[in-house]
Amino acid sequence: MTLPFLSIRAVRKAFGAFVAVHDVTIDVPKGEFLTFLGPSGSGKSTTLYAIAGFQDPTSGDVLLEDKSLLLVPSHRRNIGMVFQRYTLFPHLSVAENVAFPLRVRRRPDAEVKRKVADMLALVRLEKFADRYPGALSGGQQQRVALARALAYDPPILLMDEPLSALDKKLRQEIQTEIRRIHRETGVTILYVTHDQEEALHLSDRIALFKEGRIEQIGTGEDLYLRPASEFVAGFIGNSNFLPAEHLETENGTAKVRLADGSIIKGVKATHALGRGQKARLMVRPEAFRLTPVPGNASLAVEIVDTAFFGDRRRVVARTGSGDEIDVRPTSDTAEPGGADAASGRQIFFDPATAFLFPA
Amino acid sequence: MLLDYDRLGWLRAALAGFTALVAAFLLLPVVFIVLLSFGSSRWLAFPPPGWTLKWYQELLADPAWIDAALTSAKIAAMAAILAVLIGLLASFSLVRGEFRGRQLLRGLLLTPMVLPVVVFAIAIYAFFLRIGLAGTTTGFVIAHTILALPFAIIPIATALEGFDKSIEDAAIVCGASPLQARLRITLPSIRIGIFSAAIFSFLASWDEVVVAIFMASPTLQTLPVKIWGSLRADLSPVVAAASSLLVGLTLALMIVTALLRRRLSR
Repeated sequence: MTLPFLSIRAVRKAFGAFVAVHDVTIDVPKGEFLTFLGPSGSGKSTTLYAIAGFQDPTSGDVLLEDKSLLLVPSHRRNIGMVFQRYTLFPHLSVAENVAFPLRVRRRPDAEVKRKVADMLALVRLEKFADRYPGALSGGQQQRVALARALAYDPPILLMDEPLSALDKKLRQEIQTEIRRIHRETGVTILYVTHDQEEALHLSDRIALFKEGRIEQIGTGEDLYLRPASEFVAGFIGNSNFLPAEHLETENGTAKVRLADGSIIKGVKATHALGRGQKARLMVRPEAFRLTPVPGNASLAVEIVDTAFFGDRRRVVARTGSGDEIDVRPTSDTAEPGGADAASGRQIFFDPATAFLFPA
Repeated sequence: MLLDYDRLGWLRAALAGFTALVAAFLLLPVVFIVLLSFGSSRWLAFPPPGWTLKWYQELLADPAWIDAALTSAKIAAMAAILAVLIGLLASFSLVRGEFRGRQLLRGLLLTPMVLPVVVFAIAIYAFFLRIGLAGTTTGFVIAHTILALPFAIIPIATALEGFDKSIEDAAIVCGASPLQARLRITLPSIRIGIFSAAIFSFLASWDEVVVAIFMASPTLQTLPVKIWGSLRADLSPVVAAASSLLVGLTLALMIVTALLRRRLSR
């Protein structure tokens, strides 16, 4: 087996009695775009800072091509980083900002000039070379920061929520830019965000953090289609959780009883559950249908509200036991019939797309 | 609001009048001094019977006055440089440091601003007499540096507080050593604060008279001491000319500061 390019080994960071990061271990192949996703305070940024050298881990190691980074001071790690805050040097022009890492490395003038031009072309800001950071928009500043971080061809680029200060439209625009730049440069990127859409848009793999531990690591599809826990299912995409009682598991499929008494058969059994154990059945909103499909399970519901969103309808349904369900069928399926037809309606889903988690 | 300016009615005129009176009270003596320095009367009579530049000629021809001005400038420049250097180091530890007694240290460094100057003057004079620094340039510079320190620390610390440390971190990740990052990135970013600190420290020493009177010797006099001394000896318009120059330089420095601040904070 070849050695991993970057290896984070059992990194732990404690602040007094509080453990921010619990023995996080990840291997990152060269060229990968890996995102640390998680709510604030889940340890994702702390892990990134340990790699950057701003925080020394309490224990564990970070190896780059089999050499420990921890003994190398921050400024000699040769790592690129884009911060959450705007960190351009305010007294230097855009070109001088991008040149700064090359100047401190004492590269010859000709090389600096060429590299600065290349980098500004990469982020498409050639025309802004002589501007000062104060005259740039937030999105432009972060693109310059990206150019500055890549100017010295670092083996790894760290990005700590670089788009969180920008508005949604601009965020998506720059995400597309970041994808292109990742493709063009092939640099290995570790990206921190709390925005699941951003993570899904950008990443090859996502490491989902919860309370200082990695809850699940995998591609966006892995996390969405095969969530390892209720937390993952709840964090990635939209989900409905219905209280259920596990009746039995046979041949890898489980049978459960919901709170309203209905029995659902054929749910994928991913967790070992005892007979009669309390559980939660997770169904994605888009998995529901308003018309019967052979082999689907059905739920008797009352329609509380319905709205049209172009490509989707959004229906709020309520089960007999009072649990609200978010239903988002594609809009070409039938109109649920409004409030008059409210009682006695049924909604349908394929039990194989549902998940059962211990409560 | 209880006191809304727009609803004061006739009180507005009274308020404006009172403000004008206070401004006049503060400014008139300065205006008078400047006018008298151009007056031809030997006795500082007002209004002057005629206008002349001879007091300025006399002033500039007298080596004692030139000496005093140069001494003042030299001491003020050295005190300003020292105050800015010490103020920079102090500000870094006051703003960035995490240690017990940080607030106490801040208070201590700022005391010279609130302590009655005469108390400070007597204390430092007594101490300098004992260690042989009284009446020396070194003694002058040390005493004025202490007095100027709060005027250096306040603008520098304020600028440093407003500077996002992430910018310095970014410079370090870019490959600059922590010292390089501070010299090449942090210092230029807070240059307005440093510049203000230099001007204010210079002025704090330039027009300081209480400590200077204690510290002065017959051969070492600053301009304010010389003015004070001359006033007591004879009431010549030369003193008015010297005072006008003092006011003029102060004013010029303040204008330069304002212009540079505007240019730097682009």
